[in-house]
Amino acid sequence: MEAKTKTVSAILNAPAPHMVGDGFRVHNFFPKGYKIKMSPFFLLDYNARIEFSARNEPRGVGVHPHRGFETVTIAYHGAVAHHDSAGNSGIIYPGDVQWMTAASGILHKEYHEEQFSKKGGAFQMVQLWVNLPAKYKMSPPKYQEIKHNSIAKHTLDNGSGNIEVIAGEYNGTKGSASTFSPLNLFNARLNKEGKAYFDFPAEYNTGFVIIEGNIKVNGTEIAKADQFVYFKNEGSIIEVEALENSIVLILSGEPINEPIAQYGPFLMNKPEEIQQAIDDYNQGRFGYLDE
Amino acid sequence: MTALLEPFKAYLKSKVAITDEQFGIISDKLKIKTFDKNEMILMKGEVLSHGFFVLSGLLRSYSIDGKGKTHIIQFAPEQWWLSERNGMFNEASEFFIDAIEPTTAIAVNKDFMNDAAKHVPCMNDLNSTMLNNSIRFMQKRINMLLSATAEERYLNFIKLYPNLTLRVPQWMIASYLGITPESLSRVRKDLAHKHFKP
Repeated sequence: MEAKTKTVSAILNAPAPHMVGDGFRVHNFFPKGYKIKMSPFFLLDYNARIEFSARNEPRGVGVHPHRGFETVTIAYHGAVAHHDSAGNSGIIYPGDVQWMTAASGILHKEYHEEQFSKKGGAFQMVQLWVNLPAKYKMSPPKYQEIKHNSIAKHTLDNGSGNIEVIAGEYNGTKGSASTFSPLNLFNARLNKEGKAYFDFPAEYNTGFVIIEGNIKVNGTEIAKADQFVYFKNEGSIIEVEALENSIVLILSGEPINEPIAQYGPFLMNKPEEIQQAIDDYNQGRFGYLDE
Repeated sequence: MTALLEPFKAYLKSKVAITDEQFGIISDKLKIKTFDKNEMILMKGEVLSHGFFVLSGLLRSYSIDGKGKTHIIQFAPEQWWLSERNGMFNEASEFFIDAIEPTTAIAVNKDFMNDAAKHVPCMNDLNSTMLNNSIRFMQKRINMLLSATAEERYLNFIKLYPNLTLRVPQWMIASYLGITPESLSRVRKDLAHKHFKP
């Protein structure tokens, strides 16, 4: 039986941006921007490349809670410093990925890294919210710091480029990030005229963020920087050809078919769990983090 | 317009026995207003002839003292009323009102309750119940500001406005509570020490 092509459902333009704190100017592709099925990915905030002016006082987002999911931050330009109430801290530089499992609850803050802030310059990031299956929502928080040079790489044939496997698996190369449900997260760094093929089960929700460049998908559809390629839940094979040097963030995962109750920074299954999260946060049960 | 008024109708129905038809008559003069985030709604010195019933979003009333410091009098999230009572007497406001979030509210004219009572007598009862409630709320708030510890004020606040801690910056909560942002941080830190079990 011949494998079937996973066809493109739509090429989506970046919705109008909004500020998160004063440090992130993001286009929300989902769930606000477009009503598309992307579970287990619940939210995609895309900070398209912009220039920040130099400033001594770093821009960013102050202390806020999360419960019931994971935040995954992927840096392309600029640097972000992070602190959380579990005592983790780190700096996310271009190519790095920070995988924070908020699960039962964490407080964190994210600011432009001090030196970057003082110099200013290009800034480009992605933040994903990855939902957790109900049985893991109240598990202990966890933190995976994935440095660019530690990310497993699959080199493509014919000088086409490489696939950085952050999570999941590409042609036998496994990503180091541990996940709570099956999903793939790759950075495809493709050279002009380079080709790559992907194979994801039909039921996996799949999308591409074009970070840089210009690609042709399945020989017909053209997508350029800052667009999102949304695939149908049909077929499995995707062909990508880079029309110029390109970076593509690839998301594909098995949907979590459970009810969703969301309020602000909490992502649970039932409204009463949201009430509990608000009460726990107010009562200090998430811990404490200085502003 | 009518669909937007539904939450207000449901609110009135939860308080008094009012029919759809009666609501249709009295709601004729209600106006829906929308405000952008940070939009100024009332300046000190202006006369406001209506109050607001918030459908979505968040309003606040506040004063600014001689040193330029802001004192928040009241927050009004969904299903809350916000009014400036000098307006009832056609006098200039002592407070400012603005929108903290993009907000949709019903502007309820100062004569609304009296006019409504002509058609729906039970609106008189609602009016006096609401006034009593408002006075009771104010008495509690005065007592809190005069006698309660910072922690008692905060605990009372999260009972009254459970989700505002996620919607407004710390300094605004501190301003409402009449404490410094530093003592609010201390209260939250103490609570975390008591309640946080990793």
